[in-house]
Amino acid sequence: MSKKKTKLKLELTRRDFLIVGGAAAGSVVASQLLTTGPLSPFANIKQEQVEGIEEAILNVTGHRWGMVINLDKCIGCEYCLRACSATNDVWVDIPSENNDPEKKRPEKPWNIVVNEKTTAGTPFYFSRPCLHCGDAPCVEVCPVKATYHREDGLVIMNYDRCIGCRYCEIACPYDARKFNWQERTDVNPYIPTWGIAEIPRRPRGVVEKCTFCIHRIDAGLKAGYIPGEDLEATPACVNICPVGARLFGDLNDPDSKVSQIISTETTIRLREELGTETSVYYIIPREGL
Amino acid sequence: MATSTVGGQKRFSLNPATLAWIGLIILCLGIGIISALAVFWNGLYITNMSDSVPWGLWITIDLSAIALGAGAFTLSAVVYLFGLKRFQPIVRFAVFVGFIGYSTALLTLVMDIGRPDRFWHPWVYWNVHSVLWEITWCITIYLAIMLVEFAPVIAEAKFFDRYPWVRKIAKYLHKLAPFLALLGLGISLLHQSSLGATYGIVKSRPIWFKPSMPIMFILSAIAVGPALTMALAYIAEWVSGKKSVPDDVLRSIARFSGFVLLVYGYIRFWDLAAVTYYGRTPSVSEAFNLLRQQTPYNFSFWVFEIFVGIILPAILFLTPRFNRNPGYLVMGALFAVTGIVINRWNVTVGGLFVPLSYSPGTLYQLEPGKYFPGLPEWGVAIGIIGYGLAMLTLGIRYLPLFSKEEHS
Repeated sequence: MSKKKTKLKLELTRRDFLIVGGAAAGSVVASQLLTTGPLSPFANIKQEQVEGIEEAILNVTGHRWGMVINLDKCIGCEYCLRACSATNDVWVDIPSENNDPEKKRPEKPWNIVVNEKTTAGTPFYFSRPCLHCGDAPCVEVCPVKATYHREDGLVIMNYDRCIGCRYCEIACPYDARKFNWQERTDVNPYIPTWGIAEIPRRPRGVVEKCTFCIHRIDAGLKAGYIPGEDLEATPACVNICPVGARLFGDLNDPDSKVSQIISTETTIRLREELGTETSVYYIIPREGL
Repeated sequence: MATSTVGGQKRFSLNPATLAWIGLIILCLGIGIISALAVFWNGLYITNMSDSVPWGLWITIDLSAIALGAGAFTLSAVVYLFGLKRFQPIVRFAVFVGFIGYSTALLTLVMDIGRPDRFWHPWVYWNVHSVLWEITWCITIYLAIMLVEFAPVIAEAKFFDRYPWVRKIAKYLHKLAPFLALLGLGISLLHQSSLGATYGIVKSRPIWFKPSMPIMFILSAIAVGPALTMALAYIAEWVSGKKSVPDDVLRSIARFSGFVLLVYGYIRFWDLAAVTYYGRTPSVSEAFNLLRQQTPYNFSFWVFEIFVGIILPAILFLTPRFNRNPGYLVMGALFAVTGIVINRWNVTVGGLFVPLSYSPGTLYQLEPGKYFPGLPEWGVAIGIIGYGLAMLTLGIRYLPLFSKEEHS
């Protein structure tokens, strides 16, 4: 072999032929196995199953807590923000006292209330708790499962596990997460006027977020209350709303207030195109958006 | 450095230049340690990061350091998998540079997380759906692989004359080299691209969410990692005065880098064309408009990422007129490194500058995420650079990084 001069002519030995033929046959087999065969990651995904996955996300047996926010009713009083900040002891800069636009790190509430306008220019008020996505980007990206889905669909933080990488904060499409940049030393101005702190402050270096007042839901269920019906088991923001713009309840229960409203009124969910399947539904202003 | 001596001097002559160099490294490390302590003590509050820009300079350093460490897996694969034994003399050094890059990244990551005391959580609490989890695993596994790959070199240090059993183990480990190279290649391909995916999968951020992210990250890493190794090999040669790696090998690496840079440039071109022109969406156009109007994004993209980072080094690496001169090659590598660092910065900080939009109305808009690193962040960055320089200096001085031929 090596003594011969290199030739340009292609010589196909039996061995080469077998190798090439084998490789070709192998590729065909492999391609079949990988596209439709047992090795394929897509083989078993059929339409029903895609729907099945969605059902698995959405129709957890048991409860699935959800909220309806009526933008048409909301008067922008910020009571929900205040009650939330008191109950969950959230560090919030009071808007009127935070006149320093250069402040590099304003303390944002879990539950925002802002002025909004429709396309036609009609003003309305928009508020946003954590939307508790059925398919939550934050849960996907957390490297340590510090944020996770509970059985009842709530997206919850484990403050003892969070490493503070802030990837969830980056991945959340709704800006619903807040990082504890420093140790809390503030006096919460909303306590006791708007409620008392029902959960402890979160430590420095972890991410925190709205929980739908999970402590009330859990304790309330145990005591036989119905979240959304009985005040004891209902999130603070829902209880305090003076115009009833917020409703809370079990989306899996067709008789709950939220399910009733969703089935009768036209509702939207925020950035539905992202497929996040949020648990918060909005009734839009009468004038449209 | 003007310490070139003929024939390899045994001891450092403590001339002014060497002293100044050591002083500089100690200064950098000192600044770094003070800044790090300040951050650990006060928390991330003293940085300039915020809830709208939760990642900043440190993540840029992580991403850059890991990309710059890509010479290790690329050159190991070239030698042990593709059997190009010609490149053998540089493998050890490449692994050494890679190790510095990866350990740098891990150090910075520990600084960057809010709870450094919980740095070990990803190994105990798994979320297999998370790219960040995968990256953490890959980086630590790969760091371990590099340590094993590198063990024989450390064992060759004079110190281990007294412990022959260490050498024996090291010799055995060396036999694993091809296997380790294969494993390293797999793991590197995974995480170098996952670093891009970290951004590419975030569907709420218009200028990140695209499948080209991982590809661009890995291509740029494969291009620039070996180039940096090549440049550092030249610099080591100039400083120590010892010819260690043949010029033609280094030039081949530069040419390889140049070609990969061109491929990277091509992908970037198509990415740009697809994202901003042919397949543009309103949110992406809006995001780029905002970046163009309010930040120097456009300038830094075209000048630093494209011209300095891709075109200039490609010319210096590929044209015979320049690539016969080591000075130009080192300069080219420097340009390419600048390009990649600016690119990682632009991806991270640029992407976070664009505010999220989720409100159903038309009025409410989040502020653009303004960010410039604060003093403690720069301090830690300087310390990290000091760490890299210290490791390089010690390695070049005390370790047989360029042993002649290894018979395998």
